[in-house]
Amino acid sequence: MSARLTHDGFRRLLEQVREAGYALVGPTISDGAIVYGPIAGADDLPIGWTDEQAPGRYRLRERGDRAHFGYVLGPQGPRRQLTPPVETLVRIRLGPRREQGPRTPEGVEAADEDGEPLALIGLRACELAAMAVQDAVWTGGPFVDPRYARRRERALIIAVDCLEPGELCFCVSTNTGPGVEAGASFDLRLTELGEEFLVEVGSERGQALIDGLGELAEPSTAQLFAARTQGVLAAAMELHGRERQLDLDGLPELLFANLDHPRWDELAARCLSCGSCTLVCPTCFCHRVEERAPLDAPTSERVRHWDSCFTDEHSRIHGAQFRPQIRERYRQWMTHKLGAWVSQFGTSGCVGCGRCIAWCPVGIDITEEVAAIRAAPVAPDDAEPVALPPATTVPALAGDPMHPQLARVVSVREELREVVTLAVEPVGVFSHAPGQFNMLGLPDVGEVPISISGQAGGELLHTIRAVGAASRALVALEAGDRLTLRGPFGSAWPLAELRGHNVVVIAGGLGLAPLRGALREMVAHPERYPSVRLLYGARSPEELLFADEILSWDRSIRFAPTTAPAVLESGHVKVHVTVDGAAPGWTGHVGVVTKLMRRKPLSAHARYLVCGPEIMIRFVLRELETIGVAQDQVWLSMERNMKCAVGMCGRCQYGPHFICKDGPVFRWDAIAGLLGREGF
Amino acid sequence: MAARPRLGVFKLASCDGCQLTLLDLEDELLAIAAAVDIVHFPEASSDMDPHGRFDLTLVEGSVSTPAQLDELRAIRAQSRTLVAIGACATAGGVQALRNFADHREYVRAVYATPAYIETLAQVTPIAAHVRVDFELRGCPIDKGQLLELISATLVGRRPDIADESVCMACKRAGQVCVTVAHGQPCLGPVTHAGCGALCPRFSRGCFGCYGPRERANTEALADHMQAEGVSAASLVRRFRLFTGWSEAFRAESERHDD
Amino acid sequence: MTTEEERDHKQPPSAVELGADERVYKVEMLARVEGEGRFWLRLDAAGEVADAKLAIFEAPRFFEAFLRGRDLEEVPDIVARICGICPVAYQMGAVRALERILGVDPPSPGIRSLRRLLYCGEWIESHVLHVFMLHAPDFLGYESAIEMAADHRARVEQGLRLKKVGNAIIEVLGGRAIHPVSPKVGGFSRTPTVAELAALRPRLEAALEEAEAVVEWSAGLPMPALELDYVFVSLASEDYPIEFGDEVLVRGRGRDERVDVDEFLDHFVEDHVAHSNALQCRLRDGTPYLVGPMARLNLFADRLHPRAARALERSGLALPVRNPYQSIIVRAVEVVHAFATALDIVTNYTRRVEPAFVELPPAGARAGRASGGTEAPRGLCWHRYETDAEGLIVDARIVPPTSQNQARIERDLVGLAPQLLAMDHGAATRRCEQLIRAYDPCISCATHFLKLEIERG
Ligand SMILES: Cc1cc2nc3c(=O)[nH]c(=O)nc-3n(C[C@H](O)[C@H](O)[C@H](O)COP(=O)(O)OP(=O)(O)OC[C@H]3O[C@@H](n4cnc5c(N)ncnc54)[C@H](O)[C@@H]3O)c2cc1C
Ligand code: SF4
Ligand code: SF4
Ligand code: SF4
Ligand code: FES
Repeated sequence: MSARLTHDGFRRLLEQVREAGYALVGPTISDGAIVYGPIAGADDLPIGWTDEQAPGRYRLRERGDRAHFGYVLGPQGPRRQLTPPVETLVRIRLGPRREQGPRTPEGVEAADEDGEPLALIGLRACELAAMAVQDAVWTGGPFVDPRYARRRERALIIAVDCLEPGELCFCVSTNTGPGVEAGASFDLRLTELGEEFLVEVGSERGQALIDGLGELAEPSTAQLFAARTQGVLAAAMELHGRERQLDLDGLPELLFANLDHPRWDELAARCLSCGSCTLVCPTCFCHRVEERAPLDAPTSERVRHWDSCFTDEHSRIHGAQFRPQIRERYRQWMTHKLGAWVSQFGTSGCVGCGRCIAWCPVGIDITEEVAAIRAAPVAPDDAEPVALPPATTVPALAGDPMHPQLARVVSVREELREVVTLAVEPVGVFSHAPGQFNMLGLPDVGEVPISISGQAGGELLHTIRAVGAASRALVALEAGDRLTLRGPFGSAWPLAELRGHNVVVIAGGLGLAPLRGALREMVAHPERYPSVRLLYGARSPEELLFADEILSWDRSIRFAPTTAPAVLESGHVKVHVTVDGAAPGWTGHVGVVTKLMRRKPLSAHARYLVCGPEIMIRFVLRELETIGVAQDQVWLSMERNMKCAVGMCGRCQYGPHFICKDGPVFRWDAIAGLLGREGF
Repeated sequence: MAARPRLGVFKLASCDGCQLTLLDLEDELLAIAAAVDIVHFPEASSDMDPHGRFDLTLVEGSVSTPAQLDELRAIRAQSRTLVAIGACATAGGVQALRNFADHREYVRAVYATPAYIETLAQVTPIAAHVRVDFELRGCPIDKGQLLELISATLVGRRPDIADESVCMACKRAGQVCVTVAHGQPCLGPVTHAGCGALCPRFSRGCFGCYGPRERANTEALADHMQAEGVSAASLVRRFRLFTGWSEAFRAESERHDD
Repeated sequence: MTTEEERDHKQPPSAVELGADERVYKVEMLARVEGEGRFWLRLDAAGEVADAKLAIFEAPRFFEAFLRGRDLEEVPDIVARICGICPVAYQMGAVRALERILGVDPPSPGIRSLRRLLYCGEWIESHVLHVFMLHAPDFLGYESAIEMAADHRARVEQGLRLKKVGNAIIEVLGGRAIHPVSPKVGGFSRTPTVAELAALRPRLEAALEEAEAVVEWSAGLPMPALELDYVFVSLASEDYPIEFGDEVLVRGRGRDERVDVDEFLDHFVEDHVAHSNALQCRLRDGTPYLVGPMARLNLFADRLHPRAARALERSGLALPVRNPYQSIIVRAVEVVHAFATALDIVTNYTRRVEPAFVELPPAGARAGRASGGTEAPRGLCWHRYETDAEGLIVDARIVPPTSQNQARIERDLVGLAPQLLAMDHGAATRRCEQLIRAYDPCISCATHFLKLEIERG
């Protein structure tokens, strides 16, 4: 249904919306810009104002009329309202302070405060499109963020057609504007025509509001024509004629084929890596999660903050920083936004709003940068092209994936110096597949991803090395302590696919832990896995993980200093161990794992599972390549910074993949083009 | 209860503002005093023990006299975790501006009888002389970050203080960019966050009091400012302020100073 | 014997130098003051004062020197860094002087009242810190407020609470309590919204009432007796002097003069003395004088806010105050004045004030020379700048309160000496410290570190 609405009618409409219990959020002038903020009613709108935009420049100007929506876009879209920049996820009740180390959790409470539902007023077509993109991120599965979902579902949306697109808009390129299409998600759509509005109803909620206004005039055909055909179409035509376009055609492939384009270096000389573009972009979603437990506060809060791929911490893990250079950070932003997004969420991450151009303090123009690469693509180098994967299929978790349970430490087994295995008893039934991981945490220090290194009855095993704050605190836990646990997450070793094949497992250091569950399965089932070989390398004999258990799998090996009882002797398992260096008395191999690989005849037809430090993985793969092992016979487990484990914080991205939900276990061919490439 | 960790607060050349921040934690001060044993904090207590061992030592100020250098070395030797607090301790502070000039001339400018003054040739941050376990930035430091530092130290973790641009905080705060919307020069893009984008929130450009962030692309920012009409002399002054002796800002100011 | 050249003048005399019957009271490192200093008071065998020194060994920081060549618009930010306790005082002094150079003085009434409000915040924060955290422990026999909290928790919490309200004023106006960012030549970079100031109102009302009770409490503290004769010096204006005034009033010991701020240096002289890294300021004839709360109250009690005047009356404090220990009561009265003034300003703030009250003359027309004074919590703070046409600083002079009080503190120690002979050494030394603390010396302001030693012969 459509109707005509005078300025006064519009004022009454907003009053009604307010009376219906919504908090009004609309455009309003603040600090020299039109921003979305709380408004009391129509008077707070920027009536008679417009904005002028250019790269790195935004100014307000008076229009000389009474247009209510006569401007284009402010610095931030409704993303701010739907995923607040700082948001508490859960509150954790804390136990007493202990002599050393952090306090342990005693209870977890959801932090969502259900305030008034929001009425989002004045959203443009591109902003609706951006919301659709964010819907895919936060609710598209396999996980759903209940906070976003709830706000989004309750929000009333009053959208507005763009008849006067701004200087930086390129929504026709991205097919996201300038008109709000009939099928878009709005309750009411306004088209501003001189001194009145045409209003189109898009939902029952919208209809009820219009009904509440009493008798409204119906638009004439001429008016409808003026709005939709002349207005929107003319705006679209004008946009088509502009120079600033973003050609989306084959863009993901183009970008991933040009990862070494000289333009990235040239960009790095101009880009400040300030992150502004990512925080004004209406589709960006990266965030960090922080633990807040000041002094003797009785509860700790797990808080998420907007983050950006332009920050240092985003791509840092213990001992490595994957994107130290600005060129790599900018490339991450662009290849994600315009490339990887398509395979991750089925849509480009760009909706053509031009915000990142306007609000870049040095005026870098993403469309110009794309055009430059498109104009002179470099021939893809000899590295393998990056494959763009299909969307992930890991199993979903019911409920809030950020809400941890409280698990209890049943026992602590010291494995090596600074390495322990925590046997943890989760609440309720817990099933996982070997290769998956949990997020383990303590309220004072935060959460970290830890692989499940085995399951014994109702107990989950986690083998942890103390490297930084969180891992150190976990390692220091004692039987009976509690910790927070979320999971299981991620992909698993392809045990079903391995059936009937000869399997070679290659592990380095603590990399054996994520493989142990799979090994135990294969050891226990000779009928399914006729031949299993483990090639395991450690720094020194003292650093051999699970030494007793390894010896029990293959009684033929002997190495000092351990003497182990042989429990299992099926004969289908063969173990080879090497150490980087050893004191006299060591009777086993010395040298890196690849050296061991060269000593042992390895089959080109076997299936391979690899886990260890990334550098080791790369050398192993090179070795396998020389043997002639095909990429689809090899699986490996990867590591990147993680905060959410459910594909929402954006930090674990590895090219087009989320390590947390597409991985951590990948088949080699999925990531072959990325391995060893700087900046990913 | 186990012995509380021992806290010491020391001062070198400074304005006292950073240590005052500890007293400005009005809601938490008594809880802090319960959680740690404040064994040396002359600004607040005449019960002083500068010679004991400290689990956490906060050092404010930069090194500008020979005596301070000796004192700093002694403090380091007594401290388990030594944290430099504030722009003076982490970047030299305002007094390091004298490093850019002939400092003997400075002595004459302020004091009538130069012979009485004993100073080092250069004012330097603490890390120029001793190992520093953590640097808390800002002129002055932020009290929330100070509380985080103390809380984190109590449980043995690193403070959760992100090395990112002021722009990040500015955008989170929903502040309208003063550069883009008002044409004001702002050092936010190259400055370490922590203040919550205070200056933009107060309608002015950042002047860099938290010092350079990692990967500070000062050159790109300065070039852009220059293209927008900021003179070379003004660029020198902008980069040469409370954290002007930090490596990144110093290099940038020198690039425009001829 | 150490020769005069070898002697470190910032150190008290060593044992070798002392005569057999001489006594020295000293404190090597003065606590609960801002900055680093020591004192010594040396009495000869006859009990006569041989030497009374407040030695400031805080490292020099050379502000006036590096102000040269800076743009005048940068000055408020730079001078704030002279002192973390009273940055607003420096900012306000600088904008006064610089606006006078630019010919844009006085500021609009709206800006004036916001500046006063900001300054009230600083008075509160600084005075409350001093009364509760730095000075009260002397009266009650504790080493620190934290120690005092064990027996007087509610009192210490009250201090923290009141201080927080002072800080909140500064935070609302300037973003942070220490080195606020909004004050600038020509106004503020941003002024608060009506709602932001209104939110302070209930807190100010509650704090004002508490502050009135604090006056009575302070008047009831065990008060050492001492009566000294002073020359009082304070800025003068139509109101109780805070952020505004173009004359300096000098009164006491037979003097009664008004000095134009631009002629300050014709009447006051700064000297460098060997035992201090701060310049000492005296009247031209060498007479030490007193600035700060006591001077202000003695000279302008009639201009106090009525609520402060009533609090003063209730306290029973007789004017003029000549016992420096009673300055704790005077500060408490000034806290009431500051809260009451702040509350009035906040209550009358019904329209947001334009942040810039005037357009500054362009570069090319910014040459000049002018002075500006304000009343920092610790007393008169005087600035003088000279600029070139581009608005770059050519010359800067700043005389902070503590360098003016330095000589007076030493004179007070001399005045205290007769009483000390009857006390045991420890108590006498503490009494000296308490006296020095009564000045709330801000050694960072004085640009150096101070160490007090009393020598008793
Ligand atoms: C899928 C996966 C499985 C893992 N399994 C194990 C395991 O079984 N045993 C084990 O000891 N370690 C494992 N790790 C590594 C472990 O997560 C890190 O050692 C741990 O996060 C370090 O955190 P920290 O606070 O101790 O160190 P800090 O250096 O203080 O780390 C600070 C923060 O950076 C992030 N971070 C740092 N390193 C890593 C990392 N390697 N991976 C992801 N985020 C990181 C975390 O958010 C952490 O809180 C695994 C990592 C991943 C990604
Ligand atoms: S492109 Fe612009 S906005 Fe984005 S990080 Fe670089 S400089 Fe900042
Ligand atoms: S105002 Fe400054 S800090 Fe904020 S976004 Fe703009 S450039 Fe960055
Ligand atoms: S914005 Fe910049 S100058 Fe202002 S307080 Fe923050 S870091 Fe300091
Ligand atoms: S997206 Fe958050 S860890 Fe993967």
